[in-house]
Amino acid sequence: MADTLYVGKPARRVDALEKVLGTAKYVGDYRLPGMVYARALRSTLPHARIARLDVTPALRIPGVLAAITCDDFIDHGRFGFPVPDMYMLAYQRVRYVGDAIAAIAAETEEALQAGLEAIELELEPLPGVFDPVAALQSDAPIVGESPWDAPELPRGNLLTRYVVRKGEPDALLADCAVTLDEEYSTVHQEHAYIETEGALAAPWPSGGGTSPSGGAGVTVYASCQSPFVNRNNLCSVLGLPQEDVRVIQPQVGGAFGGKDDQMYQTSGQVAKLALLTGRPVRMIFDREESMIASYKRDAMQMRIQLGADRDGTLRASKIHAVVDSGAYAAITPFTAWRSSIHAMGPYRYDACHVDTDVAYTNNGYSGAFRGFGNTEVCAGIEQAIDQIAWEIGMDPIALRLRNCLRPGDTTPHGQSLGDDVALAECLEQVRRLSDWDRKRAAFSAAQSEPSVPGAMRRGIGVAAVFHGMSLGAEGADFAVGTLAINDDYTLTLTSGLTDYGTGSRTVFTLIAAETLGLRPERIKMLRPDTDTAIDSGPTVASRSTVLGGNATRVTAMRLDSLLTHAAADLFGCQAAQVARHGERYVGPNEEPASFEQVVDHARQMGLTLSTHGRWNMPEIHWSFEQGQGKPYFAYHFGAQVAEVAVDTGTGKVEVTGIWAAHNTGKVIFPQGALGQLYGGITQGLGYALIERVDYDSGYMQATNFDEYLIPTAMDVPEIVGSFVEKPFAPGPFGAKNIGEPGMVPTAPAILNAIFHATGRHIRHLPANLERVLLGHDLRKEGSNMACKLGLRAERPQTTLQEAV
Amino acid sequence: MKIELTLNGAPVSVDAPADTSLLELLRDHLDMTGVKEGCGIGECGACSVLLDGRLVNSCLTLAAQAGGRKVITIEGIRGAEGGPNDLQQAFIDYGAVQCGYCIPGMVLAGEALLARNLEPTRAEIREAIAGNLCRCTGYQQIVDAIQATAIKRQENSNG
Repeated sequence: MADTLYVGKPARRVDALEKVLGTAKYVGDYRLPGMVYARALRSTLPHARIARLDVTPALRIPGVLAAITCDDFIDHGRFGFPVPDMYMLAYQRVRYVGDAIAAIAAETEEALQAGLEAIELELEPLPGVFDPVAALQSDAPIVGESPWDAPELPRGNLLTRYVVRKGEPDALLADCAVTLDEEYSTVHQEHAYIETEGALAAPWPSGGGTSPSGGAGVTVYASCQSPFVNRNNLCSVLGLPQEDVRVIQPQVGGAFGGKDDQMYQTSGQVAKLALLTGRPVRMIFDREESMIASYKRDAMQMRIQLGADRDGTLRASKIHAVVDSGAYAAITPFTAWRSSIHAMGPYRYDACHVDTDVAYTNNGYSGAFRGFGNTEVCAGIEQAIDQIAWEIGMDPIALRLRNCLRPGDTTPHGQSLGDDVALAECLEQVRRLSDWDRKRAAFSAAQSEPSVPGAMRRGIGVAAVFHGMSLGAEGADFAVGTLAINDDYTLTLTSGLTDYGTGSRTVFTLIAAETLGLRPERIKMLRPDTDTAIDSGPTVASRSTVLGGNATRVTAMRLDSLLTHAAADLFGCQAAQVARHGERYVGPNEEPASFEQVVDHARQMGLTLSTHGRWNMPEIHWSFEQGQGKPYFAYHFGAQVAEVAVDTGTGKVEVTGIWAAHNTGKVIFPQGALGQLYGGITQGLGYALIERVDYDSGYMQATNFDEYLIPTAMDVPEIVGSFVEKPFAPGPFGAKNIGEPGMVPTAPAILNAIFHATGRHIRHLPANLERVLLGHDLRKEGSNMACKLGLRAERPQTTLQEAV
Repeated sequence: MKIELTLNGAPVSVDAPADTSLLELLRDHLDMTGVKEGCGIGECGACSVLLDGRLVNSCLTLAAQAGGRKVITIEGIRGAEGGPNDLQQAFIDYGAVQCGYCIPGMVLAGEALLARNLEPTRAEIREAIAGNLCRCTGYQQIVDAIQATAIKRQENSNG
């Protein structure tokens, strides 16, 4: 590729200055004249019928301005995609502890509290179900509303089911020299964005809407990921046309997948309250409300069977997974589908079956979280692969190199891979960077020495990842960018995708600058606003760089060709004779013209100097019945090595090093890409060792950062991040995605290192002290919350083999 | 009650209820919205401010406790002409910022460290910011920025 001016070069994040100065405004920092405050009344029971609900007593409290229930919305405020099973406020039943039942707006905090207490509510408890495998048994209490929730599905708590099918693994497994049959489980994980959820709705002046009868309109500022999805939900539950609802994206203080469904519900509540009161209404969650009410990473149980030859060639895989979706579907069907596609890992097999069942329970509810199904299954399959290597006596990297997907291979889904695949290169790179061969041998040798209680043991482990790009067969996939040249020769760039800390605004700015040859400082990238940007689908699935980046490139190329046309007219030559060096145009007789001169001339010619560009993901297809197809257009590949020191006296694991190599294609914004990698690895480290949203009979056990621990600066080692920049032709300047896949292999790499250090497989996350030290969990007889509520602490988990 | 303190170098006097936290006083009464609330229980450090030069969680500090003392918030950390100071510029240059929500507290934690130690090791920097949670960055580029600033300030003080 020709040398670039801005892409791949050192650059500064476009919004870093306001963030370091403390002037960046998040929704909790927004204040409007006359603004009032809102809060929701939330369920204290995991499953109950709403026997009586009367909000009118709240309205008699001085300072309370409005109180709403589901009856204040069209169709009770029903929303959700792909399964519309949620409501803006609970309808008839509550399904989890924290389910919103009513919401009020009040002038003061005191009135808000008094108003919530005045609401008359009677909940009639219903039996709950807290074990996803048990939820699928015929005698389980029904959480969903089948057939209404998912008419095409069989019944009750089985939300959906996905399969992958290649050949017949059972016969092969019976023949294989080496086999494995193990169960693994992962736990719910809290997003723990440092900014909690919040939304502010401002009503338009009476008659400001488009309705001839003097209808209302509303502007919503929400800490959400996908403003267009939010707008569309608001229109449907409020009964307003698109012109009368505007969603503007403030700065978002982290999301990681967690600010979708929950924020659409909150936005609906404040929008309705604003329309009723005629006042701006703001709702900000405190940390406890955030942790109790918001959705989590799903928890998953997996049974993995593998078969291999003595030489380490993988032959067959058979995987059955059950996903705990909690009380609502949210985006879990998509998560589960992605997990089924990635469950066997990035390897070749002669036969492979995956069956994924998704169950409703009363354990909070699950939704998107970085890695989105792949993080969960990778924790299982990459440990299983390591165990096969150990049983054969083969080096774990060597076994992966023998089996890993390479250019031209066909995946177990029947997809032929292109020449962008670079997993082998990633494995070789982390092997070299981490000094794997020497350390593996040295740590193994130390293992055979006699053990002293309390001695430190060291280990080193590896894991590989593939991660399907963007939405895949989950949905229609496109993005749109717009560019306009302003009177002062700056440019305004928009995208319908949100930068909630990921750096996408900087990536898009660099792509536009590179395409146009303009200094990035000229380009002002706006945050999304549904009135000025164009719908680009949801900001999920690591899709910004490729989808939004390509849309930016298309709109910039259009603007570039307009300017070239104008320059040709100025020089009196053909467009092909115009050369451009950065911001300077040069004609056939070496006559120069500045960017400003060309813009002025273009305006005199009557050209409109604004463009928009749309990029559609190339076609993909998936047969949900046959479990074969082309599930994603392409994949990101990567490998990570973790080194640990384990205290054999306490079970404490210190991660002493992590090395990562990721097949990102061309890196657009190197500093940002490294930041994504470091941040993802740190979340993966937390997932491996300390993070666990524990539901006790539906009650979340940790509701703030004193009990739910996330890694601090002292828990994270110095990380060595690197990229394999094998170009990906369809990506902008050859780029692939990075946001999610950096997190995916971290936990299994750490778990494999613990195994190397201790000989102990930790098949159930997280690898806490007691699991590392004793090999099993300690069960607290009375957790804090259980004691407070007088609950019995009892939670038998059904194994998948028992359930069959 | 009436609370008088020095905020970012200027004297201020505020009437606030006796149970007002320093965080509420700064955000709701004095419009210092660069001070963020993340947990309300002193675990995350997003509300960090300097109280007489010491790093404190303003959510755990009563406003009255700041009476007669000097409070520095992120709004008080500025370089020449109101722009970023050298540490803030290093946060930009080293890619230490992602969503930005923890950053005001991180910058103040860095300033508190550098005020007492201009030769911190990376481990000491990690310890100094361990009370400030960041969910985006993995901390590495934040450590880079603080370390680079320490080296520069050290050179300046020697030169």
